Amino acid sequence: MNIKPAKQFLEQPYWQHLAKGKLFLNSCNDCGSSHHPPSPICPKCRSFNTGWKEASGKATLNSFTVVRHAVHPHLEQDVPYIVTLVDLEEGVRLVSGIPAGMEVDLKVGMALECKVIQKDEDFALPYFVPVDADKA
Amino acid sequence: MKTSIVGIGQTEFSTNSGRSELKLALEAILSALDDAGLEVNDIDGLVRYTWDNTSEAAIVNALGLPSLKYYGETEFGGVNCCGAIAQASAAIQAGLASCVVFYRALNARSGVRFGRGERVLSEDGDALISHQPEPPGDIYSAPFGLLVPGQHHALYAQSYKGHYGLSDERFTEMLGSVAVTQRRYANNNPRALMKDRSLTMDDYKNARVISEPLRIFDYCLETDGAMAIVLVSQERARSMSAKAVDVLSASQYIFPGSVPMYLYAKDTYSLAPPEAGEVLFGRAGLKPSDIDVAMVYDATSMMVPLALEDFGFIGRGEAADFLISGQNGPNGSLPVNTHGGLLSEGYFHGLNSIAEGVRQLRGESSNQMKADTVFMTLRGASSMIMGRA
Repeated sequence: MNIKPAKQFLEQPYWQHLAKGKLFLNSCNDCGSSHHPPSPICPKCRSFNTGWKEASGKATLNSFTVVRHAVHPHLEQDVPYIVTLVDLEEGVRLVSGIPAGMEVDLKVGMALECKVIQKDEDFALPYFVPVDADKA
Repeated sequence: MKTSIVGIGQTEFSTNSGRSELKLALEAILSALDDAGLEVNDIDGLVRYTWDNTSEAAIVNALGLPSLKYYGETEFGGVNCCGAIAQASAAIQAGLASCVVFYRALNARSGVRFGRGERVLSEDGDALISHQPEPPGDIYSAPFGLLVPGQHHALYAQSYKGHYGLSDERFTEMLGSVAVTQRRYANNNPRALMKDRSLTMDDYKNARVISEPLRIFDYCLETDGAMAIVLVSQERARSMSAKAVDVLSASQYIFPGSVPMYLYAKDTYSLAPPEAGEVLFGRAGLKPSDIDVAMVYDATSMMVPLALEDFGFIGRGEAADFLISGQNGPNGSLPVNTHGGLLSEGYFHGLNSIAEGVRQLRGESSNQMKADTVFMTLRGASSMIMGRA
């Protein structure tokens, strides 16, 4: 699958950190809470004093779908693929997925961990995989 | 609210209308005025969705409307259908306008298709590029292949299935009941795109999976056409027509994470804020058990169980029992989507479901129920109650 955000977005901190292999979350420097998608203000304490904090990478599976119907001609070779919603330990939801070709048995509520995968030199994505997936 | 729906009008539903969205809108507006017994020059207010391509100015110019006093848009393209009714009603009650037309026109099958990724991505060599900060198809979800609303609905469905621990079989029968029951209603509805296509539970179970756990028959029909609804004050409606249907209550909702597409909402197995039902029914002085027929914005079948639970018609987690036992059918305790719904009549961004509610209350439905009060909801985004004040 080769779908990228437009260049101007890749210059933003969220994507810059990912391109270096790390998942950082937009976080409040005053109350410490994290948010996603990034915002100019903290929705908890309404402080504009926000910055970036590395995520622990621990999450649980909120939901998933195995996409079998390609909704674009470029995706004909990619189906089936798995899209997930993951709830991070920091109280943040992310859209994610399972890397192509990985065999998994998904259950809502299961523990996941982050695996940042480089797609090309300036672009990487935060996948979340079952905790024991690499050992299996 | 102190307003009434006095006219409903539409073009045919089709997969290729063969004419512009402006022309479709004009045909629907004239048809709704005819139904109401009003003249074109009676229109002094217009409301539409922000996503509608046909502007109020285009309607004013085309019809030569001499005295438009109010116009307004509500956000989105479908889920805020009852919000548009609330806006029209508020304008009438505030004295900003006396006769407001709500219209929607779209070539959603022959034109830009909501179910296709081409709508949200551009091509750059082998790569597909997302340019938008918001879903569907935004920069945070598109790279994983989450591109169209039908995939978001599959995520709600899986979340619900997992949260309540439903087996594959029970979950399939729950949604199958929605698809099969509504198809039977559509088979008896001359307007329905699926009028002549039967659907059995076996057909449903054997159908192609689009995005697990949803099958092709869980999805609505991309449709070309237009619809219009005419509203006036209750007082004026009383002097006009015995067919008038009163807007008893109408609400709209946004809560943290609900837009866009509930991706970041606290729960994904429930799509309305906890107080939504209480506010809506409270304004009408009614309770869920007073409702005779429900219209649910079924962009997918999954919206039916969620809406029934979110608005208190049944308890949390009870949708499988309710639907598998056919309570949404003609002999059930709460017939749902008696026109066939967006799944089998046509995807008309909720206006066709409001129109069916109006027909039920007028006694003009092709699947007529005993109906004094009708509930209508669009996911957790907007809702209304129609009846007689």
